[in-house]
Amino acid sequence: MDGYNADHRLLGGFLAGDLGPAEARRWDEHLLACEQCWQAVREDRAGRQAAAVLRQPAPADLADRVAFAVEVAGAGGTAGRLQARLGDRSGRRARPPRRRARHGRRRRARVAGAGVLAAGLVVTLLLLLLPGGHGTGGVPPAVAAVARYAQAIPPLAREPHLHPGRRAAPAEVGRPVTVTAGGQQIVMRTWRLDGAEAVVAVSGRPFPMPARAQGVSGQGMAWSARLGRLGLYCLNGSTSELVAAPLPAAELAALAARLPLG
Amino acid sequence: MDADHRTFLDATLPHLDVVYQVARQAAGPGQEPEDLVQETYLRAYAGFGSYRGGNTRAWLAAICLNAARSEARRRRRRPREVPAPALLYELPAVPIAGGEDVPDVADVVIAGLDAQVVSRCLGMLPEPQRASIVLMDVAGYTAREAAEALGCPRGTVLARVHRGRRRLAQLLAEAGVSHGRL
Repeated sequence: MDGYNADHRLLGGFLAGDLGPAEARRWDEHLLACEQCWQAVREDRAGRQAAAVLRQPAPADLADRVAFAVEVAGAGGTAGRLQARLGDRSGRRARPPRRRARHGRRRRARVAGAGVLAAGLVVTLLLLLLPGGHGTGGVPPAVAAVARYAQAIPPLAREPHLHPGRRAAPAEVGRPVTVTAGGQQIVMRTWRLDGAEAVVAVSGRPFPMPARAQGVSGQGMAWSARLGRLGLYCLNGSTSELVAAPLPAAELAALAARLPLG
Repeated sequence: MDADHRTFLDATLPHLDVVYQVARQAAGPGQEPEDLVQETYLRAYAGFGSYRGGNTRAWLAAICLNAARSEARRRRRRPREVPAPALLYELPAVPIAGGEDVPDVADVVIAGLDAQVVSRCLGMLPEPQRASIVLMDVAGYTAREAAEALGCPRGTVLARVHRGRRRLAQLLAEAGVSHGRL
């Protein structure tokens, strides 16, 4: 009986492929006589074969995505880089004048009106993002969500500059809106600057590049694209910013440099 | 891309496919495997400076499993509960030939393999057994690599994988038999 039990314990070695020639012979003989071990071997084999059906090749674009994410992570923060890369030599970064904007009648009225506008936009956005909404034409969901939000803003006539010699500070319009698209949480703010409005979307994950987007020359993680009347400018990083506005790409990059990002 | 990026990617990207295999099974509800792979590589990149070499794919697997656990802990406030009987009831019937004889578990399992069902049954195993099976049978790690990734002795991994395989086979067989009797 001792010998039988000893052979019984060869099961582990057999399954691990650890048996030497002599043990393997003993095991083979044992297996012919031991129904319990035979069952264990068959179930082990069945479980292994079952698990093997779960193998599936990685998506073709996963390597590019991972490499891109690593590159972005290695490059560090984005806001300061964006400013530097877009050629703002002043060394100053525009700050959101949230409190100042609330002073003064005109600005108060703008904020109040924009609040109503933003509420409407949220509803519009939700409707657009619901199943059955308009197609995205191959644009990644996160980018499409931002574009739809920006498209919902009625076009504004450019206001004359009150102080042509001075750069106006950007004013936030309405309240931030948070959405999740493509599994990506995005916070969108609308800013008004020099009579133009732009949506700045911020996310903790990179905004995927649409098919027809172009990398911005000399800026590895930046891309720009055109969707209808909208220009898109994106800089991916540890936090990623996507600026959308009905402006030509060249103007959008300059505008983005003056907007509060991140 | 600078030298650091390139060195890291050269060392790790060849293992992307096995990391993806691990991520597919380790990702919890609501978590995309691709996101988990990306998170794994970002964590690995962050720790690459202190990485002393060794088995790179075991190192990546350990990071992937840790990342999945972190995400699961983060989502623990809203656990998704799936009652086991209901889960088994959903499993497809497996035709069983052979009259009144009790069918062999292995035959039932192999005849009725379906990736979705296997995945569900795998999810019902205890986490240590599941992780061992994922590493060895799905991702193709050796027992030694799996042991390194899981931080336990090789013998422990082998014991877990054996118990897990048998339980997996039994779950799949029971599902087929019980459904066929209903």
